[in-house]
Formats: sequence, C-alpha cells, structure tokens
Amino acid sequence: MRVVEAFIGEYASGKSENAINRSLELLELGHQVTLADLDTVEPFYTLRPLKKSLEAAGLKVIAWSPEQTMGLGEAGTLLNQEMIWALKNQGSIVLDVGYGVHGAKIFNLIEGAETDPDLKVFAVVSAARPMTATKEDIVGYIRELGRVDGLINNTHLGSETTRKTIEEGAVIVTAAARELGLPVVYTAVLKELAPDFPNRDKMGNPVKFIRRFMPQAFW
Amino acid sequence: MSEKPVTGERRVFMTGNEVCAWAALAAEADIMYGYPITPQTDIMQYWTRLAPKFGRKFLQTEDEISAGFTTIGGVLAGKRAFSATTGPGNVLFQEPMSMAEMMRIPTVVIIPQRGGPSTATVIYSQQEVTMTAFGGNGEGFRIVYSTAGHQDLYDYTIKAFNTAWKYRFPTFVLGDGYQAKMREPLTIYDPAQRGIQMVKTEPLVGLEGTPGRDRPTQYLRNTYNTEEELYEVVMEIARDFEKAAPEIVEWQDFDTDKEMDVLILAHGVVSRSAQGALPLLREQGIRAGHFRPITLRPMPEEQMRRAAAKAKRILVVESAYGQLLKLVQQSLYGLAKPIDTLLRPGAGVTAEEIADQVKEGR
Repeated sequence: MRVVEAFIGEYASGKSENAINRSLELLELGHQVTLADLDTVEPFYTLRPLKKSLEAAGLKVIAWSPEQTMGLGEAGTLLNQEMIWALKNQGSIVLDVGYGVHGAKIFNLIEGAETDPDLKVFAVVSAARPMTATKEDIVGYIRELGRVDGLINNTHLGSETTRKTIEEGAVIVTAAARELGLPVVYTAVLKELAPDFPNRDKMGNPVKFIRRFMPQAFW
Repeated sequence: MSEKPVTGERRVFMTGNEVCAWAALAAEADIMYGYPITPQTDIMQYWTRLAPKFGRKFLQTEDEISAGFTTIGGVLAGKRAFSATTGPGNVLFQEPMSMAEMMRIPTVVIIPQRGGPSTATVIYSQQEVTMTAFGGNGEGFRIVYSTAGHQDLYDYTIKAFNTAWKYRFPTFVLGDGYQAKMREPLTIYDPAQRGIQMVKTEPLVGLEGTPGRDRPTQYLRNTYNTEEELYEVVMEIARDFEKAAPEIVEWQDFDTDKEMDVLILAHGVVSRSAQGALPLLREQGIRAGHFRPITLRPMPEEQMRRAAAKAKRILVVESAYGQLLKLVQQSLYGLAKPIDTLLRPGAGVTAEEIADQVKEGR
C-alpha cells in the first residue's frame, strides 16, 4: 500500500526527526521510500547535511546538496524540479515541510497535492515550545495551518527529555486534538526511553519510538 | 491582552532566535524596529507573531539605517525599544549607533553574527566583534554581551535592557548564526519573580515644563561645531564609561585557580568548545584553563590578566581572523606570555580541534 505523509510543524517541534524516522520505518516494512525536504523558508538549516547517510540507508532523498547551492546565498531559487514533482515518485513518499504557516503553503507548488488520494498531513507539536504550550495555543496554531489530518505529540526537551515531559505533552496535545476533531496519530518517544515507556501514553495514544538524527545535521 | 508573556519558570526547547523574542517580551520591551536579514529574521517573525497578543508593537523599516534610527526614536519617546540585525545590516547600523553613543541613548540591538567580509555567508561567524564593539565614527562607548547559548540569549537580552537604561549606553547582545538556529533546552522565567526589576524607562524629549524655568534644559545633541566642544563631551562620556566599566564587566573562568600549562581564551559559542577541550587535555596530563569574557566591551581586563598570569602560554580561539585576539593583546599588554592562536574566520571550532592545537603548540 502506498503511504504518502507530510510532516509540518514549527522549528524545534521535531518535524524533520519524525519525517526521517517514518521514512526509515517504511523502508524496514519493505516500501520503496522517497523523503523530500521541502523547507523553502530556511533551506540552509535542514536535512541537507544528512542526505548522504540517509541515501546510504536506502532512501531516495530529495534535498539540495551543498554543491548545488554553492554561491546562492540567501537569494537563490530554492524549489527544484524534483521537489515540484515529489508526489509522482514510485512507492511511498514522506514530505518534510518547512515551518509554520508559510511552510504549509508549499502545497500550492507541489504537483498533485490537492488530488493525491493517499496524502495525509500531520502536524508535529511540542508542548515544550512556549508558542504551543497550551491547548488554546495549539488549537489556534493548527487552525492557521490549513489542511491537517492528525497531530503528532512530539513534546520534548532534546537530550533532557523524560517520560514526564512526554506525558505532560500528551495531555495538552490530546486535549487540543479533541477540540479540533483530529486524531493524535502517535506520541513520539526517544528510543533511549523505551524501557521506561508502555506502548500507549497516558491518554491512550499509540507510542512510536524514534531515534534522533538532527544533532548530526550540523552543516 | 497585556497579560504577562512568561509567568513563573519553565523548561522549554526552541531555537535561539525564538528565545530572543521571548526574552524581549519578558523584559517588557514595548516595540521592535527591524529589517529582515538572515539569520536574524526569525527574531522579527516570532516577535510579530507574539507582540500583538501582549499589546506590544513592531515597525518594519525600509532598511537597517532606518531600523537603527527608528529604534533611537522609540527610545527618545520613552519606549523600551530594540532591534536585531547582522552582517551587512550591522554595518548600516553603525551610523545610528554612533549617534546613540554620542547622545547616550539606551538602544538594545541583538546581533546573530554571520560571515564576512562583504555580504558573504548567511550562516555563522564571530567576525562582528570589532564592528559591534568599536564600529562607527567614535570611540566604542558601547556594551557588548557575547552569549554562548540559549540560556545566555534569554538572560542577557533581558539584562541588556537594564544595562542600557541604567548606564545610558547602546547595548548589544552578540550571538551568532549557530545560536540563532540551533535548538536546545533552557529555562524561561518572569524576571520579576527572580527579583530582577526592569529599570524604568522615560521619555528624553517632549518633557513637561519650560526648559530653563521649570526644569533644566535637555541638551540632546549629536553635532558639535568646534573641536573643543566635541572634545569636552567625548571626554565626559569616556569618564562615565570607564567609571561604569567595573560594574558592567562579566566573565566566566574554568580551572584557572591553579598554575596552568595553557589558558584558552574564547568567547561566545566557541567558549563551549573550549570548555569541552578541558577534560580532553586533562586526560593527557595537560593543565589547561579557560577564560571567557562575557562582556567584550568593556573587557574584563583585570580578571583576564589575573588568570593569564598563572598560565605558561595563552591560546586564543575564535571564528574570526584575530578580532578577539586584538582585544586580548590589548588587555594583556605588558604580561610576558607567548600567545598562540586558532583563528578560523567564519568556521566553527570543535573541542577536539582546540585540544589538538594545544598539543601542537607545546
């Protein structure tokens, strides 16, 4: 079955981590997977440094490589052909979309985004970000984003994340999801915390164990 | 509408630019003036998303010269006003900031440094030290806090407003593109709950009463017709600056209480690499210490000299080609210590690279 998922969210919400982890999970399940980095807001601070290692793992990665952006500075054309046609790839597709309200607007530029029958748009939310720390703030933020099919609770404090951090986030994100009439697709939990964590969070949402890749994304 | 943006204390995780916007809110900043430039733009973007919720304001100007002058205008009107810029934008800020120095206008500007010279890269450097501390056609009567991460960005953005308004010198929070974009946890807090009182602001123009009769005349001048006149004013500012300096200087030292084989001198985010190098060197039997000036202007000279006196050699490390080095040489003048360098203009420095350099230098 073809899986097409777009991860949208604020900087530091964990959007890219979840997109990478989902891509690798699909790969393990036997899918052919394309991971497309569609951050046009700040294309210089994204998946780019990880491109080679993710490709070596078996993913097709659509992202600018440092050689391609040489000399572009901040004024270059930042959407390439492969990005526009990302949804036309064979197999399953994971889109890592730029941040915030402007980031979600990129769907206007992706061929087939309006009509793709399989596309799901997930908003990655961290209640440890002060802008999305309360139910009301999350509801307001998600309503600005346009189409969203589900929330992912990725409440975290980087390497300081504890079970308590995640569970507190689960309560807030679940309350927001209920008000929005959306599912919490899963709660993301760092693999290191797996021994300490059941398969569902305290709100009953499924838990997905993820690895951190972005600390290596130091350009 | 104007409820407190930050109450109590809490641990959070976000980018450095977002931290600056929250800190300015917590510091009761009234208005930001600005013009977009990477990697500073998110400070404006977060501020414009947050400010209306708390009754604060924003004005986007047509360039950085205007952003600097409008920030001055905001302060003259008695507002806790600030801006943020970097690189070529910081170059354009030098004219308004020279005026702020001369007129003792307490502006606050956040500078996430990017690479140079010229327009150069949008990413990272420590190449705006000289410009931020001594730019403009003056003497550098400014206060510059060099931050090393998100907690610093929060703490020193709040503090910058108080330092500026207490001493009436333009005050800068000098970060860099790495700190702007990286994510790490920090504690945000309501300054009042930690006993930090925000220094009261007041209008510098349009005061009540008739000058000379009801109140002393307020001389807000930026232009002087004779050399003697200018000399008097500049010397008075110099005396004030030197008098305030011992109260303003801040630093951190690590393992500098004993005799050292080497004292590593670094500021900002590079200080974190220097701190990381200390255990690596200790493992190899090298007695290393680290001194980090937090204020680059005024420089904690006495404290630096005291640490340096205990070391056989000095190693200056920075992501620039000798901008901290010049300040160090000036501070340590007369102290007969060999100074080695690891100068990487526009490039990051790791703890391992610093440790390797120390070993090479022996």
